[in-house]
Amino acid sequence: MRGPLRRPFPRDWFVRKGAYRRFMVREMTSVFIGGYIVFLLVWLYRMGQGPEQYQALVEAMRHPLAVALHMLALAAAMYHSITWFNLTPAVMPLRIGEDRLPNVVVAITMGYLPWMAVSGAILWGVLR
Amino acid sequence: MADRRITLEVFRYRPDGDGEATIQDYRVPYHEHWVVLDALNWIKDHADGTLSFRWSCRMGVCGSCGMMVNGEPRLTCAVFLKDYYPSPIRVEPLINFPVERDLVISMDDFLAKLQAVKPWLIRDDEEPPEGEYRQTPSQLAQYKQFSMCINCMLCYAACPEIDGIPDFLGPAAIALAHRYNLDSRDQGQSQRQEALGGEEAVWGCTFVGECTAVCPKNVDPAGAIQQAKVASTKDWYRHVLLPWGKR
Amino acid sequence: MAALFMPAFIVVTGLVVPFTTGGDADLDYERAHQVVTWWPVRIVLFVVVFLSLFHCAHRIRHILMDLGLRAVSTVLAVFCYSGAAAGTVAALFVLGTL
Repeated sequence: MRGPLRRPFPRDWFVRKGAYRRFMVREMTSVFIGGYIVFLLVWLYRMGQGPEQYQALVEAMRHPLAVALHMLALAAAMYHSITWFNLTPAVMPLRIGEDRLPNVVVAITMGYLPWMAVSGAILWGVLR
Repeated sequence: MADRRITLEVFRYRPDGDGEATIQDYRVPYHEHWVVLDALNWIKDHADGTLSFRWSCRMGVCGSCGMMVNGEPRLTCAVFLKDYYPSPIRVEPLINFPVERDLVISMDDFLAKLQAVKPWLIRDDEEPPEGEYRQTPSQLAQYKQFSMCINCMLCYAACPEIDGIPDFLGPAAIALAHRYNLDSRDQGQSQRQEALGGEEAVWGCTFVGECTAVCPKNVDPAGAIQQAKVASTKDWYRHVLLPWGKR
Repeated sequence: MAALFMPAFIVVTGLVVPFTTGGDADLDYERAHQVVTWWPVRIVLFVVVFLSLFHCAHRIRHILMDLGLRAVSTVLAVFCYSGAAAGTVAALFVLGTL
């Protein structure tokens, strides 16, 4: 007798199927977001040090490489936001009586509209 | 036309034998209206009586014929041969479970996990006043979706996290716990919280979402787990901010 | 939180600040400083950074576990969550001393 056979899940599961690969990409965006938060803290720190330090950093950010990194982080953040909001109906289902509101409605009211409002408020506050 | 055939590549394992697990090919008659389970039954009746597999209702209600079909967890009573013909179809036991024999997996562990979340109505008070607890249709709608589970275990075979966390409660058990937590007649949320919080339960989930994708009953276990995470987080904050309050 | 705020933050620090200018660098600084030091902005920044850092730490830890480092998951937990905690303390310091 050898008893029951163990069959482990493939170690490389995250490259084996489209859905698993999309999951990995979605989660990988967190690396960019984490990296950007560190940068944001540096940015705020420089600002606290005074105009010269701050202006040196702003100057450095005009470098094509800095712009490219920002664009990369922006793409990752957008992907993160969009996938996140598309999943909100599963996380926070809304009901009216017996009926569950359609997923699109929940994604828009709980995700996309607040996102637009927050983004709009930030850009308005900065560009005003 | 009459003798068209399709190849089934079937996983074989005998615990009393000395060989390793093998793949055995069977040439099975092809009929447009046949599902994989029909082909397995044909093998059992006409080609090889030693093949073991579980099945019962043939109509997606009993949840016992779940297997890996070309690597995807499926109910074999709901997978038509015509969707694969003329390519061969590989049939293996559900992954993430110990294999007892051929296509039969051991579900002991799964049953223990189901029990761990106390999937029954828990009441602080005793007998219901008039023999039953009343519930409005909208209270029923809160949890109905999560009560449709047939324990087919496909969601466990779709989950990449289970293999690394052997004690992970897993999709169906957490969805079942959530179903009772959402039930207006139940008062047992705090008793389930211990089993539900933590790395072996909701926080072991990374929301891959494949459990929901493979569920034949649209239970949405992934959604249930995320909702349970929200509830667990609220519970934690309430505990930290209001330690004197009732849990 | 990260989902709501991050794209706009990145647009501001990556595009708006370096590429729009009122002509006078000192005046630009004054204005930026004024916006960031307004207390509601400081508090929002802190909450967003705090929550996003821990969320990121949790997800990065789980990616690494998925990629095969499950055996050292406790080490990863210490590393990731203390990193997030350090970032939160840094945020508190930076935002408090602006």
